[in-house]
Amino acid sequence: MSLKRNFFAGVDVGSLAAKSVILEDGKVFATGLVPSGFDSVESGLNALNLALETAGLKKEDLTYIVGTGYGRVSAPYANKAVTEITCHAKGANFLHPTVRTIIDMGGQDCKAIRIDQDGAVVDFAMNDKCAAGTGRFLEVMAGVFKVKLEDLGALSLSATELVPMSSTCTVFAESETISLVARGEKPANILNGIHHAIANRISGLFARVGITSDVFFSGGVAKNTGMKTAIEEALKVTIVKPEIDPQLIGALGAAVLARNFSKKQGLWS
Amino acid sequence: MANTDLYEYPQELREEFEATEAIQFRDGSQATAADVWHYMTEVAPKKYPYAYTQRKYVDGRMSRDIHLPSAIKHNYLLLTMNDRINKSRENGSPVIFVQGGQSVDPYYAAGGIALRPASVGMWSRGRHEGLGLNEEVVRRHKQKEKAYHAISFEACQTAGYETIQEGGLPVDMVAPFTCLRCSDISYGVEAHRHGPNKTLKLMNIDYPMRHQADKQWAVEYFVQNLRRLTSQIGKIAGREVTDDDLSKEIRLHNEGRRLAIDIAELWWSADVPPTNGLDRRHILQMGGMEIHGDPSASLTILRESKAYISERVKNGIKAEGVVDKPVRLFICGSCVRPNDFRIEEAGAIIVGNDNHWSDICTLVKEDGDPYRNLAHAILSYPYEQSVELRAAWTIEQLKKSGADGVLFLYQWGCNTQSAVARMLCDAIKRDTGIPTMIIEQHEGGSEQSEQLLNRINAFIEMI
Repeated sequence: MSLKRNFFAGVDVGSLAAKSVILEDGKVFATGLVPSGFDSVESGLNALNLALETAGLKKEDLTYIVGTGYGRVSAPYANKAVTEITCHAKGANFLHPTVRTIIDMGGQDCKAIRIDQDGAVVDFAMNDKCAAGTGRFLEVMAGVFKVKLEDLGALSLSATELVPMSSTCTVFAESETISLVARGEKPANILNGIHHAIANRISGLFARVGITSDVFFSGGVAKNTGMKTAIEEALKVTIVKPEIDPQLIGALGAAVLARNFSKKQGLWS
Repeated sequence: MANTDLYEYPQELREEFEATEAIQFRDGSQATAADVWHYMTEVAPKKYPYAYTQRKYVDGRMSRDIHLPSAIKHNYLLLTMNDRINKSRENGSPVIFVQGGQSVDPYYAAGGIALRPASVGMWSRGRHEGLGLNEEVVRRHKQKEKAYHAISFEACQTAGYETIQEGGLPVDMVAPFTCLRCSDISYGVEAHRHGPNKTLKLMNIDYPMRHQADKQWAVEYFVQNLRRLTSQIGKIAGREVTDDDLSKEIRLHNEGRRLAIDIAELWWSADVPPTNGLDRRHILQMGGMEIHGDPSASLTILRESKAYISERVKNGIKAEGVVDKPVRLFICGSCVRPNDFRIEEAGAIIVGNDNHWSDICTLVKEDGDPYRNLAHAILSYPYEQSVELRAAWTIEQLKKSGADGVLFLYQWGCNTQSAVARMLCDAIKRDTGIPTMIIEQHEGGSEQSEQLLNRINAFIEMI
């Protein structure tokens, strides 16, 4: 007799990317990551379908789906919607139960989240009015230097010195960067300055919620090694290394919650 | 062009509603429940289609708890504001622009009508008929932008001043309590002083700040201000104002305040929320006796509401759309608030706020010199005291209301509340352990932004 397999999915539709994670038996079974389009329902479904395709599953095979991210409010395919703050907490806790502080830098906002041993949110602070410390900010900077977004971090780490930046406002930082390039400063040094300015800026969020080890860095910006190093220096912490793409942590947390909710509802045992 | 997809009150409710109380007005007239039903089902949908929007999250959307008479009657009074205020003015009652969070007993005692900024906005809205929701929101935003230009882009509730300056509303006097909880009152007063509408009388009712209620000089000083105020309104209204006029008015307003306190205590004692958050706020706000521009009308609804809420609490009736055990949120701060519909969808409910509740909770002594009693009460408003005293009062309200969390919201540019927010939240957290969150809001929309929604939902999930 074979036992029924249970699959749980989390779908995180952000401003720049839609992500999905499918869990089985407490393990990541498949993932999907696609750029977010104009239609958030379609973006979420694309990410989910990609993960299903990778896993060789159909949507009907999923026991429960949790939607998160800004697109969660329009996710008819999901059984429940949860904010990405809660999901990042659950996702980080799932990977590293010793994590107590999370830095989440996504496409359009930046969050400091403090969690307990169960991955429940204890406190959080968000920067959602200013683009400083967001993926969108770094996209603009990549455009100024005409390099790929994923190459910004490595370029920044090759700096020989740090060029101070006076502004973290996307618009003003862009014009300041252009002036610095015109002055003859090296792109790597300017980028080093930009990453440190952003890291210092987001330190303020942690002054409000506090920092307790271990510290985890999630969201698309967490792939940027230059930003990771700058944050470690600014906050005087060591960031734990994630086993999976840090951009998937929100979706992973949503999948963990999908498993928990469905168990609570008696959908499996 | 008006929206065509409008909400309609169910006809099968008509008989039940028409059996409810008539609204008694200050001038002795009344609107029977049948009059109200006719207006709300036949007249208002054509005059003010925006109010009947079906859009789920629109902040000004009318309550769907249709078995609660106040839900319809309150909206009737708001939608008839323009007609009623115009009629009262024609009958000799001057209209005075005042500030939020202050009591209005002396204005009415002198024969005037006191309107706070939100009510001035409602009156102004009533002068533009046939607008759909988007058209109405665009109109309001345009007015606000004009006010930013004329006053300061750092100021918040300024549209009222601008509308008055432009001559768009026939206000007879600007006479707020100054130095009261709001930095924009100074912007507004300055704007008025320097604006083109020089003929409009300006009178500042100077408010000695913070913890002055027990100081003789402060009470005497405020008494002089109040006497100046009633005398000036009396001159405009063409009547002499006696101490007895003020005593009578205080008794009337005290009844409203007491009813609101009783209703709040009933509401808080219930096992399940007897109304949704929107109706709770509207009913309790009536205790300030200002919101409808007619204290007698507010009083009629308060009396009736107490009976209804009592009945619901006794029978364990839960308001529609509210979850069984919602997260109970208490709101601190002035002028802005989160969207009730979104809050309830996320599994929470707003159980109270400190803003107008501060003046409603402050009963005025009824024996002795009414001016001294009123001055003493006004100088005792908990919201206007030092942070330490305000925090102690807020904590008391949190305990009474069974709050699980506190959201402190203030408008971007509010110098007063932005300075207080952190200190107050720290004190609450320290003394009660209740989680708090501070939100600076600067939104022109009517349905709450994704960012704000995200924060509040995460806060609710956290609790």
